Amino acid sequence: MKSTIRPLLLTVIFAGSLTFSLAASAQKAMPSDEQLLRTYNANREISLVGTVIKYETNSATPPIGAHLTIQTASGPVDVHVGNAKVVQAGRLTLNPGDNVRVVGEPMALGEGTYFAARIVQKGTLAVAVRNARGLPLTPASALTPAAREALRGVR
Amino acid sequence: MNRFFTALVAAATLWIAACSNGGSTITPPPPSGKYSTSSLNGTYAFVTSGEAITSGAAAATPFSRTGSFTANGSGVIQGGVYDLVNAGGSSTASSAPIPIMGGSYTVNADGRGTLTFNVTSNGTPATINFAIVLTSTSGGFMMDQTGSANQASTGSGNFVLQNSSAFAAGVSGSYVFDFTGVNSNTAPESLVGRFAASGGVITSGLEDSNDNGTLNSGASITGTFVADPANTTAGRGLATIEGQTYAFYIVDSSRVRFISINSTSSGPMLTGDAVAQSGGTPPPSPSGSFVFLVSGSSANGGLTRVGRLTVSGSALSNLIMDVNNGGTQSEFGSGSLSMGAISYDPTTGRGTLSFQSSVVNVYSFVFYLSSPSSGVIQEVSGTPGTGIATVVADGSIATQSGSPFTSSNISGPYAMSWSGLVTSGGSFGSQDEEDLLGQANISNLSLSGTSDIFQFTGVTLNTNIGTTGQISIAGDGTSNNTMNVNLSQVTPIHMVVYIANPQLAFFANRDNNGAMRIVAGVLEAQQ
Repeated sequence: MKSTIRPLLLTVIFAGSLTFSLAASAQKAMPSDEQLLRTYNANREISLVGTVIKYETNSATPPIGAHLTIQTASGPVDVHVGNAKVVQAGRLTLNPGDNVRVVGEPMALGEGTYFAARIVQKGTLAVAVRNARGLPLTPASALTPAAREALRGVR
Repeated sequence: MNRFFTALVAAATLWIAACSNGGSTITPPPPSGKYSTSSLNGTYAFVTSGEAITSGAAAATPFSRTGSFTANGSGVIQGGVYDLVNAGGSSTASSAPIPIMGGSYTVNADGRGTLTFNVTSNGTPATINFAIVLTSTSGGFMMDQTGSANQASTGSGNFVLQNSSAFAAGVSGSYVFDFTGVNSNTAPESLVGRFAASGGVITSGLEDSNDNGTLNSGASITGTFVADPANTTAGRGLATIEGQTYAFYIVDSSRVRFISINSTSSGPMLTGDAVAQSGGTPPPSPSGSFVFLVSGSSANGGLTRVGRLTVSGSALSNLIMDVNNGGTQSEFGSGSLSMGAISYDPTTGRGTLSFQSSVVNVYSFVFYLSSPSSGVIQEVSGTPGTGIATVVADGSIATQSGSPFTSSNISGPYAMSWSGLVTSGGSFGSQDEEDLLGQANISNLSLSGTSDIFQFTGVTLNTNIGTTGQISIAGDGTSNNTMNVNLSQVTPIHMVVYIANPQLAFFANRDNNGAMRIVAGVLEAQQ
């Protein structure tokens, strides 16, 4: 059973879009895939393409931070985009109806599953919100040269 | 009018919006206790870690301070120096710590007070402000609550009375250390280890690093220590450990405080203490019951784990743990954690321990004991053999002693400090740092006291907040204890609390009542 789940994931990676239900995949996952879902691995990243349904800079749904709900060909997907101030610092605005591409991978948290975004792209503007290890970026990672210089005055 | 002043003036309004769905109004009790201005008298080494935001910046940046100040026992700060480093690396120069040119402080009877440093920023006078709570005349907790024209900053930390007679010996002996912060790319980093120093060099040492998830386990380290002749009264010096420069401040023969400094704008932001090993060098193999607390980052955001375990030989038992991973809380009660195992190298003081909640959820840690009853601990959970951890987190481990814990021995005045993340609503709701510093008398396991809280979601400082609460102790108190904290006009905050001994407890929030938050802290009895 394990081998049938893994190829499905790989197929999706190369397809460039999510063609299965994240929730369904979590329910089907065998132990090794559960392990995968708790470990971010850039080699497993996939790309989601969809339309923004909702963007919340501070969602009441874990994980803590900003969530993007996008409509994909297979249904709505909850995308965690980390710290909203990182998105803001990247001058990326997200509004209902926007077409976006998200690079990341499904992750398990508690009893649920969500899509952890590493890169959010709208048009030609792409903003990194996680590093390659899957850890959410902080606004400090997006400091401008002027902001860095201003920090020299911090006491 | 700058944004910070505006924010602070508007704090009362924002407080409601940021944190509260209601909650009763709590009037702070009149300060009572044995402390006074004369209780803060001497030279103290301090550290705070938190965030700062500069005028015009879109978001706050992590930063840390470590230094030394002298209080005269009469409300005057006579001077001092400190080093600081920001995420991204900019820091004070190795030869030029920031001078504290004076200042003032207050101490109330309950040990709460304020501390102000006079400094210069960009060539103009500025002040740095802290709230403090004494845990004794030898130290206490502090919280940055600066709001000036140039910056607003928050952060939690502590201060410890320095013994100048220990300065001449320099960094000498066998120490366990825990340096934590972010690397030069602002990704989380943790270093724990042990070194023996003599004659200004590390004669032997090893460390475990977790740099953005990349593990380097039990690696040998080298280093040097040189006193700073320009700041001898502060016990300051410079260290180079594995190529990284640190400023250090000698507290006494048992403790040295470190902060990374960088010659270029790129470098890590790391702070932490090295604590001399006692009760054996290294201490003997751990035995008995321990509580632990680690905090850090995961792919889900912030992470806290607080728990307890019993060590018997190479086996672990009586394991329980509470986890807050990205705002999702999990309680692993009695019987839900298994396969506990521990190993310890009696020649180095380095140990490892692991346990699991299921086949796929294995929790692994490395620890170093500074004494038979305490040490530092770093989480290394990840796929075995890959050298990659799924989290970056570290903290403390301490023996459980003095049980049964009851209303009889969990009683009297306590200082309370927590730090972490909180979320806020509004037109651009976000997550950001939250720091709280308070004092409460505990009687019949009920808390009554006063707190200051700084929420950077709105750069919102609230001081002198009436604080009550209730601790619920299960059984003999060694496990499954909770603490509800009520801040005036705020929805109650629910914590789980693990008692190390009647003088010390670790806690973390156990749900998102009122607001999603990921915080952890310490209760410490006032002496």
